[in-house]
Amino acid sequence: MIIHSGVRRFGTARGAGSSGPYRLATLAPVLLLVGLFTVFPFVYAAVTSTHKVLLTLPGQTPFVGLKNYLDVLADGSTQIAVRNTAVFTGLTVPCVTVLGLLVALLLNQPIRGFGVLRALVLLPWAIPLVSAGIIWRLLLHGDFGALNGLLLQVGAVHSYVPWLSSPHLAMYAVIVAHVWREFPLPAILFLAGLQVIPGDVADASTVDGARAWARLRYVTLPYLRGPLLIVLVYETMISISVFDLVYVLTGGGPGTATSLFSWYAYAASFTFLNLGQGAALSFIMAATLLGLIVAYLRIVRVGEDEV
Amino acid sequence: MRFRRPLVVQATGPRDSAEGNEGIRMLTIDELVNSAAAGRIGRREFVKRALLAGVSAPAALALLEACSQGNQGGTGGPVHLNFMVWSYGVETIQDNIKNFEQKNKGTTVTVQDTSWFQYHDTMATKFSGGAAPDVAYSSDHWLREWVAAGWIVPLDKYASDLAAYKNEWAPYALQGMTLDNHVYGLPYYADLVIFIYNEKLIKQAGFDKPPANWEELSTQAKALRDKGISQYPIDIPMKKDDPWTIEIFYSMVYSRGGHMFDQSNSPVFNKPGSEAEQALQWLRDSYVSKNLDPAVLESAEPDVVKTMGAGQHVYTVLAKYNLAELNGGQHEQKGNFRMALMPGSTNSTVGFVRFYAMSKAAVDRNHTQAADQFLQYFGGKTSGQYVVAKRWALEKGLGFAQLPLYDDPEIQKSINAWGSVELEKKQAKVAAPKEGLTPWWGTWDVYAREQITSAVVGSVSPKQALQNMATKWQSLKQ
Repeated sequence: MIIHSGVRRFGTARGAGSSGPYRLATLAPVLLLVGLFTVFPFVYAAVTSTHKVLLTLPGQTPFVGLKNYLDVLADGSTQIAVRNTAVFTGLTVPCVTVLGLLVALLLNQPIRGFGVLRALVLLPWAIPLVSAGIIWRLLLHGDFGALNGLLLQVGAVHSYVPWLSSPHLAMYAVIVAHVWREFPLPAILFLAGLQVIPGDVADASTVDGARAWARLRYVTLPYLRGPLLIVLVYETMISISVFDLVYVLTGGGPGTATSLFSWYAYAASFTFLNLGQGAALSFIMAATLLGLIVAYLRIVRVGEDEV
Repeated sequence: MRFRRPLVVQATGPRDSAEGNEGIRMLTIDELVNSAAAGRIGRREFVKRALLAGVSAPAALALLEACSQGNQGGTGGPVHLNFMVWSYGVETIQDNIKNFEQKNKGTTVTVQDTSWFQYHDTMATKFSGGAAPDVAYSSDHWLREWVAAGWIVPLDKYASDLAAYKNEWAPYALQGMTLDNHVYGLPYYADLVIFIYNEKLIKQAGFDKPPANWEELSTQAKALRDKGISQYPIDIPMKKDDPWTIEIFYSMVYSRGGHMFDQSNSPVFNKPGSEAEQALQWLRDSYVSKNLDPAVLESAEPDVVKTMGAGQHVYTVLAKYNLAELNGGQHEQKGNFRMALMPGSTNSTVGFVRFYAMSKAAVDRNHTQAADQFLQYFGGKTSGQYVVAKRWALEKGLGFAQLPLYDDPEIQKSINAWGSVELEKKQAKVAAPKEGLTPWWGTWDVYAREQITSAVVGSVSPKQALQNMATKWQSLKQ
């Protein structure tokens, strides 16, 4: 009786909810927010990218079509930023993924005290990026960096190493800082995936004589396909769009050595005050990200079909 | 409209204080109006307190309306100003604001600061995003750009005593704040880029005087390295996002007798064999020979002051006020630093100015009267004295555009404690403002710094870097 009454009330509520004005009224706040903070900026940026918008020339914003896109693509600085971003992403995504997986495999062992370690491993990820950048800058500074002090004391180097001043070392320094900041999230995602692998499957493979590598390859990794996809997509997006770390750690320097795409898009807008080109660069970056995500999804689907 | 009748009570202690009503004091209508104008209390709170004090509701609303109009209409009523600065001596700024507010009861000021390195970009975001302050620090770096963008206004119309002040300013400072015969600022400080050396350490290496030119500096630096006194004797801030880099590079070119631009603002720095090419090649050679600290490309001004103070380096080129910090601050080598004329055939250097500007937003908000009073207090005279400029000079060693301050015995004594008034005057005589200041100079500067640092690390040749800078200049001009 009580259940029946409840069903009736639920049915009434659904009936009221299905009416047009009610639905619109409940959706309106969300639609307004999405419109205001997503659709409007997107459209505004799209319009800006097709106009010449220089903050130093207010009131003179002629329509230029795709000129901003063509100009930035032809610009040598963009090409440097693309190359740097490709190197950065190509190195950070595999490093973050592999390190995350290794840490997850380690934390999945039934060893006393690893519960605390699981919480601690999240710490770098919990530190705000700007703070992480400042910490790494103080660690790596060529004149008073703590790392140099340590290496000098143990005799590993004879003089301070300019980690952030050398064009080659600076890029690796940013990569190391990024990997350190990013690996905890994949580790936790992989750990969650590892913990749902049925124990009897793992046991059966061991009984069948599968060695550690074979168990990882044929038992563990297929179960981690979901988390792996998430990690790859997320980390690729983060690596391509990383900004804060570069901003704080190197400012894109020395020279253009660590000028990444998102940094360059920012510089175009707010340092060079060319909002039209800045918007065009942002759209190019968004399109690249979209293309990569689609490619990842296809690769994983093909993999699923093969399984 | 001024009232002195005690009107309402206000709790000054924390809300959850166990002291109950012990922290309550009487407020006059003036204070209540100021609080409303400053945004410290809202409309509802204002009316509630006015009603509590026995003012009728219509009267309270009318008062609030008057207050609101005063705030926005520039009718002499309470005004709240937003003041944007870069992060230097913020406690001093706040104390100056407190003094200003005491002298100008109708005006309240909120200060907001951001790092010098991000100041340009932050201000561009604020101005273009509709969050412009009423008054702000600016620099000769950005004057043309900010004027072209319509972000700041000429002061001729709004600053009452401007004409009288102009005659007392150093020429390079006046030039740095002037565009098309309009003055856009009152000086916050004006200073010189100078050559600084550690006298004790160069004597230890057997030198009794500082280098007279850049080649001599290389010789001295090598000797210091060979004797193990310093691993990298020269340190110059060249971090990509440090705006000092370009002023230092200009100084190195000027001191060799060169120019960056001609009278028509066309680049001359890229001419074969130019002084700019010599200066950039010298930097590259110093980097390769290890006379120049390889960490210069990650070192901004504060980093250089720290390492010089610690005795890690012996020579640097910095804004003059850093000499006051090096000789007066908590540094191992405190007291050993001296200023020398900029090495080179002409000893010329950059004289620059940072100034207080009034925004277009202040005009739109009708805050011009209050903003003018603010600018007068901070950059002009109060009771016949340059109160704020003198305070900066005495407490922080900042240079000043107001030349009569050099005659002030207190200032002379203060400067001579860490530097030399005579040498400073001598250097000022051959100082020149930055060339090529145009609306696109600020944008070009960022690119130029990138190229200079690329040439120093060897990613491009000095010649190519200068050519790239010239090409960028032409494209920005178009």
